[in-house]
Amino acid sequence: MSKFDEVRAVASDILGVSAVSLNVTSSPETIENWDSVQHLNLVLALEEKFNLQLSPEEIEQMKTLGDTAKLIESKLHTSSR
Amino acid sequence: MAIVIQPYRQQHESAVQDFNRRLQGSSGDPNFVFSQSAVPRWLPPSADKPVWNEFYVAIDGSSNTGPTVRGVYALKQEVMFVRGKGLHRIGCYHHPLSEGIVDRSFASVGALLARDALAQQPLLYALGMGGMERSIAKMLKALGFSLTPIPFYFRVVHPAKFLREMRALRTEPWRASLMNIAAATGAGWLAIKSAQAAASLRSRSASPRVDFTDEEGVEFSDWADELWAQAKETVSFATVRDANTLRLLYPPNFSSDIASTRGLRVSRNGSAIGWAIIGLRRKDPKFGEMRVGSIVDCWALPENAATVIQAATQALEKDGVDLIVSNQSHHAWCGALEKAGFLKGPSTFIFAASKKLTELLQPQQENPASFHITRADGDGLPVNF
Repeated sequence: MSKFDEVRAVASDILGVSAVSLNVTSSPETIENWDSVQHLNLVLALEEKFNLQLSPEEIEQMKTLGDTAKLIESKLHTSSR
Repeated sequence: MAIVIQPYRQQHESAVQDFNRRLQGSSGDPNFVFSQSAVPRWLPPSADKPVWNEFYVAIDGSSNTGPTVRGVYALKQEVMFVRGKGLHRIGCYHHPLSEGIVDRSFASVGALLARDALAQQPLLYALGMGGMERSIAKMLKALGFSLTPIPFYFRVVHPAKFLREMRALRTEPWRASLMNIAAATGAGWLAIKSAQAAASLRSRSASPRVDFTDEEGVEFSDWADELWAQAKETVSFATVRDANTLRLLYPPNFSSDIASTRGLRVSRNGSAIGWAIIGLRRKDPKFGEMRVGSIVDCWALPENAATVIQAATQALEKDGVDLIVSNQSHHAWCGALEKAGFLKGPSTFIFAASKKLTELLQPQQENPASFHITRADGDGLPVNF
């Protein structure tokens, strides 16, 4: 399973939408349920799943699901070095 | 460039005005407004004071039009008393506003604001919020805050006007018609007065003497320090209410263009036994044309709570209010309100305590009825009481 697929599975669960309806360009502007509360829930769920902490700057970078997956991958890569 | 949260300074004032305009313009809600001044009008920061407000802004440096404010919040720094654990500095997170309210592309800002406040002050609480279903309450719950509604009480002074004007109850046409009939025939008057009398009778078993005097424009001094010292051990948690703090919280005859409050010193045989802060609430569409009084804050030994509530109620009735409201957490003050004929209503006034604060409040957190939380806590004055 790719990192995007893992992030998509978490987002699907948090946002209450099917995983197939989410793609790399999905964002708060394209997914109705994705409001500020769900954005925070997504941040917290990703932190728990991947056992990492997201800084304010990183949270702000999570513009789309694709951005989010790249961010998570990069953080995991950095921490595994 | 990422969004950066920093203290609100004078150079940000015009950007905050633009932010207010965008929020109000897109939402149509006049309540979406933050202070246009970087210096808080109520409780400005000061190194030598026990309580003050700090303002923060979330600045977006990537905007084509220069630094743009995408979010704001206020942090009220104060001192709290926890029985058995002494005094601690805590923060109240209030007035958070995010551009995410009107533009989903800024959905992350709400989380940034709340997390920044927690980083500034892990012993953090929020109060009010308009109910458990509001975004701010849900967000704090997600961050591990424990949420508790603070009981709401009301006393109808003029039932006919209450029945005509109480728009929150008149949402259905049939209910509005019934209320019009009840108001016109006096049936509503009878029902409300009966319910209030019953509430008063139910809790009248240990009625204290009610000879009191009240002095308006009261100044808090040594007598208030004595009352704070006498009664603080009767609550498990309260923000400090000594004379020095009270003078800052309630400057004599504090008033703004939309609301005003005043203090009452309640005495028996010449000695102060308690105090109350009362006020006339700002106009609110849900109350129609009613004049709504509020028992904003109060303090006394539990056995004197009923006398203080009675004094506050009489003072507000003398002011000609149609309805009196109050939020109180402590069982002695809830009992005092019931004794004075107040009815309990559904509460949307929520106390949210961060994980660290919840830990500090253990084991009392299990019994919020021993906390002393009133409408004056949280953002309190100058408008939201």
